[in-house]
Amino acid sequence: MTEHTSTTTQLPELQLDGISKSYGDNLAVRSITASIPAHKVSVIVGPSGCGKSTLLRIISGLDEPTEGTVTFEGNPVHGVPEGLAMVFQDYSRSLYPWLRVDKNVAFPLSKLPAAERDARVAEAIEAVGLKGREKLYPWQMSGGMQQRVAIARALASQPKLLLMDEPYASVDAQTRADLEDLLLKIQRKLGITVLIVTHDIDESVYLADHIIVLSTPPSVVAETIDVDLAHPRDHFSTKTHPRFVEIRGHVTQLLRHTELTGGAA
Amino acid sequence: MASAAPSVPAATSASTAAPARRKRRGTLSRPARIGLRLIVPILILLAWYALSQSEAGGLFVPTPLNAFVRAGEMFLSPDPSQLFLGQATYHDFIPSVSRALAGLALAIVIGVGLGIVLGLSPLLTALFQPLIHLGRSLPSPALLGVFFFLFGIGDAPKIFLITFSVVWPILFNTIDGVKSVGETRAQAAAIFRIPAHLVLGKIVLPGAGPKIFAGIRTAMAMSLILMIISELQKSENGLGYLLISTQRQFDYAGFWAVLIVLAALGVVMNFIFLLIERRVLAWHRGATAQHD
Repeated sequence: MTEHTSTTTQLPELQLDGISKSYGDNLAVRSITASIPAHKVSVIVGPSGCGKSTLLRIISGLDEPTEGTVTFEGNPVHGVPEGLAMVFQDYSRSLYPWLRVDKNVAFPLSKLPAAERDARVAEAIEAVGLKGREKLYPWQMSGGMQQRVAIARALASQPKLLLMDEPYASVDAQTRADLEDLLLKIQRKLGITVLIVTHDIDESVYLADHIIVLSTPPSVVAETIDVDLAHPRDHFSTKTHPRFVEIRGHVTQLLRHTELTGGAA
Repeated sequence: MASAAPSVPAATSASTAAPARRKRRGTLSRPARIGLRLIVPILILLAWYALSQSEAGGLFVPTPLNAFVRAGEMFLSPDPSQLFLGQATYHDFIPSVSRALAGLALAIVIGVGLGIVLGLSPLLTALFQPLIHLGRSLPSPALLGVFFFLFGIGDAPKIFLITFSVVWPILFNTIDGVKSVGETRAQAAAIFRIPAHLVLGKIVLPGAGPKIFAGIRTAMAMSLILMIISELQKSENGLGYLLISTQRQFDYAGFWAVLIVLAALGVVMNFIFLLIERRVLAWHRGATAQHD
């Protein structure tokens, strides 16, 4: 199975075909078609309220699209598929305050034998740099550390696809930069497919191998961009690189353009 | 794992809680604090004594000393074979408290069970909301006759009356608590494909825990009231029965002795409840202290 996937790395891990979602008469996203390549970081960026979170809920199987299909590893998504994990924006609401850090991380692994579970938890906690804090409660930690716990919990389930919904919108700038680098490091090490939703243009270009720019609602894909910036990236040299500045300018222009034209193609 | 568990939070909670406590009470020394707390009880005892000496009250109100001595005679004994407990303890106190606790336990099981089912389903909540409001607003002591009619005369009608009366705050609070667990936590559970029994036991129940405990606390106070009311009629024992029978025999010292025992019972039950709550909801005290 693993050999099979290695020969098909060029195939998209995740395929969106004509996804539309409406709530009553209100069309949130319209006919979204996009490919999320395997073992890469893809970022969906768009203005606030453009239905990014709706799209992520549909991709994760938490919600069904009104039209269109989501295909994950070749299978249509109905309900949350195996091999998918998610990090929510609101860490204080997604973690369980009555469980200590290690129990929070271990929680999704209830079906595993205890020894393997403990090993995975230790590994995930170490990967996010929280070793020694396993016995704290989430509310005894800063926001950035809580989001690390949420990332560790997602990693412990060893996902093939990691979804992140505005993961760093609730932390301060310095923490945000640290967590962005942490994510890139982990992704390079594990080779998992990551799909991030954000409204932050800088963040999208810095993290992405692949950007999907959405327009204002009813949202359509305005453009997809391949980001060819070298790895490993860092906040000084990458962000001052002419190519970074160029892509960032392009995305900014796209978003401004869609806002001016109201997203109508 | 378990042995290492308490060490870290214990250290942090001690270091964060201690200065806060000192700051709040820092202006008063310990003896002064105890002295202040004693002022009101002493005033009450003085007023009680004054009433017992007055012309109007003297007939019905014994002196505090007499009442306490009588309470000792009734509820305690010098006999080791009786475990130093008096006749009234065996004949009235224990049956009363057992019925109150049985009624409360049944109400907790029904209230929490039903509350979780209703809280998880907006449809069922909407369907049963009017019924719950109706049941809550019925003055349940008025139903005592109905319960005697339905369940005969032994312990059953009394226990069921207590259950019926105190189940409402538990039910309401559980529904509320389940709803307060939040969509994001439910989504996180769905994303990680947590099996349903774990969602119930490890997410819904602990998440609703603080509210459930608040409901149980109200229910516990109510269960003592209902315990007395249920024993005022058709009873052969119990503290409520004792209140009536001492009055009928003009044993006013005995009547006041029962009141003293009732007050002590309320205080002790509340204390035990707080101990349990502190253990079970330790995380919640820490989490709320953090955010306040």
